[in-house]
Amino acid sequence: MTDVSPDSAVLPDQAPAPRRTPVAVVGRDRSVAGVIERYGLLLLLVGMVVFFALLPSSGEAFRSAANINSVLASQAVGLTVALALLFPMAAGSFDFSVGAVTATSSVMAAAAVSHFGLPLFVAILLAVASGVVAGAVLGLLVARYGINPFIATLGMATLLGGAIFAYTNGLQISKDIPETLTDLGSLSVFGIPRIVLAAALIAVAVWFVMRHTPLGRHLFAVGSNASAAHLVGLNVTRIKFLSFALSGLVSGVAGVLLLARQGAATSDNGMNMLFPALTAVFLSTIVIEVGRPSVLGTVIGVLFVAVSVSGLTLVGAPSWVSQVFNGAALLIAVGLAGISRRGADPARL
Amino acid sequence: MRSGPSTTAIRLTGINKTFDGIPVLRNVDCSIAPGSVHALLGGNGSGKSTLLKILAGVHPADQGGTITIYGRAYAAGSYGPAIARQSGLRFVHQDLGLVPDLTVSENFALESGYPRRAGMAISWRGLRRSTRQSLESAHVDVDPQTLVRDLRPSDRTLVAIARALRDSDEGSHVTLVLDEPTASLPQHEAGVLLEAIRRCQSRGQTIVYVSHRLSEVLEIADRISVLRDGVLVAERSTAGLDEAQIVALMTGQEAREPLARGMPEADARPVLTVSGLVAGPLRGVDLTVRRHEIVGVAGLLGSGRSTLLRTLFGNARMERGGLEVDGAPARLRSPRDAIRRGIALVPEDRGKDAAFADLPLWENVSATAIRSYWSGWRMARATERRDATRLIRTFGIRTATPNAPFTHLSGGNQQKAVLARWLRLDPRLLLLDEPTQGVDAMARADIHELIREHVARGNAALVVSSDFEELESLCHRVIVLRGGSRVAELTGPRLTEAAIAELTQITPKEPTHD
Repeated sequence: MTDVSPDSAVLPDQAPAPRRTPVAVVGRDRSVAGVIERYGLLLLLVGMVVFFALLPSSGEAFRSAANINSVLASQAVGLTVALALLFPMAAGSFDFSVGAVTATSSVMAAAAVSHFGLPLFVAILLAVASGVVAGAVLGLLVARYGINPFIATLGMATLLGGAIFAYTNGLQISKDIPETLTDLGSLSVFGIPRIVLAAALIAVAVWFVMRHTPLGRHLFAVGSNASAAHLVGLNVTRIKFLSFALSGLVSGVAGVLLLARQGAATSDNGMNMLFPALTAVFLSTIVIEVGRPSVLGTVIGVLFVAVSVSGLTLVGAPSWVSQVFNGAALLIAVGLAGISRRGADPARL
Repeated sequence: MRSGPSTTAIRLTGINKTFDGIPVLRNVDCSIAPGSVHALLGGNGSGKSTLLKILAGVHPADQGGTITIYGRAYAAGSYGPAIARQSGLRFVHQDLGLVPDLTVSENFALESGYPRRAGMAISWRGLRRSTRQSLESAHVDVDPQTLVRDLRPSDRTLVAIARALRDSDEGSHVTLVLDEPTASLPQHEAGVLLEAIRRCQSRGQTIVYVSHRLSEVLEIADRISVLRDGVLVAERSTAGLDEAQIVALMTGQEAREPLARGMPEADARPVLTVSGLVAGPLRGVDLTVRRHEIVGVAGLLGSGRSTLLRTLFGNARMERGGLEVDGAPARLRSPRDAIRRGIALVPEDRGKDAAFADLPLWENVSATAIRSYWSGWRMARATERRDATRLIRTFGIRTATPNAPFTHLSGGNQQKAVLARWLRLDPRLLLLDEPTQGVDAMARADIHELIREHVARGNAALVVSSDFEELESLCHRVIVLRGGSRVAELTGPRLTEAAIAELTQITPKEPTHD
């Protein structure tokens, strides 16, 4: 046997015989503390829902199908942006460009149909492609040329924001946006907003890539220790590049959803979409699989913030509450992630 | 408050400790005589680290235990870091707690605070003076202005000890606790440290010494306490003890007979042939490794020993030279190329180059085989986990669960996991860089056995180690590198620890010292 590749693992039949003390191998940590640590945020989300649904001042409005749908629909784009952020975050890089790339994609799609009269199908392809290109450029800068992702993505976000403003002149593009697209943003199927279904579909796709493909596992390996990943034979440059390219792809899709939802592309630079996405991804690291970002955790994180803000608004809290809540949730999530990492300090046996 | 001459410096009585309901220490009674060097020994998971943390006051012991220091008894619940310090306990941890980019005196100030002039500006001169005094009284010949990073490893350890002892007056009861102070030191630098320990002892200080290097323990310790599975199984004098007996105490089994060094047949097929290798510090190295053979590489830091392994693993550029793997010319441009040719590398710096610290143990074991579980449309996760769990068991990796984050494992178990990750690929050539550094005696024996078994199946191994005793006992043949060239090869009866030590250092270069 001259060729042993990592793809042809040889398993234990020729591994050494069992030695010494048999090792107790049990399942996950099922202690009370462990369960609270892993499901705390989910329990809190459920608690919030129950609280606002029962609270006399908000209950009726909160429970209404209209409110539920509006909360969900308003979060569909935000969730998609957060999902885009997951790829680079899993691979250990920040990406501050997801909001700006989303905004760019939405302007791209709107301009294509409105200014150039291109068919919707082509416009969507162009918009998504713009996201992929932006992501690929970032991927090259970070993975190939070793530029700090913090700086590179912030630079890209600023650049795109400026480009959007230059193109739109500060005006929104709302003429001739096809109904087929805006229907996606406003209509429902079986009582569920279409855009929520679209976001759910994307979430499932991202979940599948993260959890059920080698690439997903490679992303986490690179994010955990790039040097060790290189030394177990992974192509770290390629994996980092892909994390940004995929981020661009999903941001591009988010841009199309944004246009569908708003019915117009604004001159906004998209930075206001970045922080809720960061919050959700950080919240995801303190739930279920504690310590690493996950799709399910991100969904829980997005819903947690949305439900809380909606409930607070219904009980009459002023409009700045949303921003304060987002900021506080981000800080708390980052803090808790830090503490749980420190708490993981070996209570060595 | 000296309460008359005590016959014990430290006495632990009835110390128990449970983490999450799992007992880690069970009813430990231990006493340490004043002015003695007392070694604390035990394998991974023996509870040794926990006992040290209890002594430092970092972890409280369970109710009922008592810690008595020079006659003053403290209930387990009331003992803490401040009491430990007041009672004269001084700790030097394995990582030393020095900041490399600060000077020696600044590192002192990190613990003692900066002396002020007129209550305001830092008195740098005062700091230098007090640091110099502490260094002098500890016989450490280092300029307080030097950056810690420019010190050689043994001096760093001495500085850390001098810092720990800085405000201990003559005559007060001082107990110095050293946690594996020589683990990161090359063998030949450890001697300096042992000397320093003897000096402390001659001043009447008590030393609690934790080390995996049993030869050192025998050389320096008066008494040993051995922990096994959280129980103190032996406390006795070192007089008349040998290493095999200590290992037997630690493992609870009779010592394994060292394997007779059978030579593989001379005409066995070469797995690796290197000719005229030039890379980094290496200047034209020739080397052949045959089937069934464990070849050692000895050399000081900078001799090119690590570059040799990195080049063979495609992780350092080969400037010139020829390379054949299994008789076929090979060009290795990346670790991936090397892995495809059946080469594996267990790197020296586990934390930096091998550990996926926050990922679960099972994913760490799986890291080399992820793609093999791709079934065409999804990962066969269940199979992957089951295989990893089985490897964890066959390699004797001690863990509560395969989901435990890798950092929660002790050094020896981490190293076994890294070995498991590679041996599952059944590599033709196993490259090992300091395979048992910072690993306890039992895990070390296990790791050696795993390497021998793997090679016995017709493979080969190339081992770099600064532990020459390890090279002697493990290898069939040892080549010695000096200044990037191969200067000697030792086989058969000439292959001894002493011979290796001598050959690596024939022209000892004084490490720069500024």
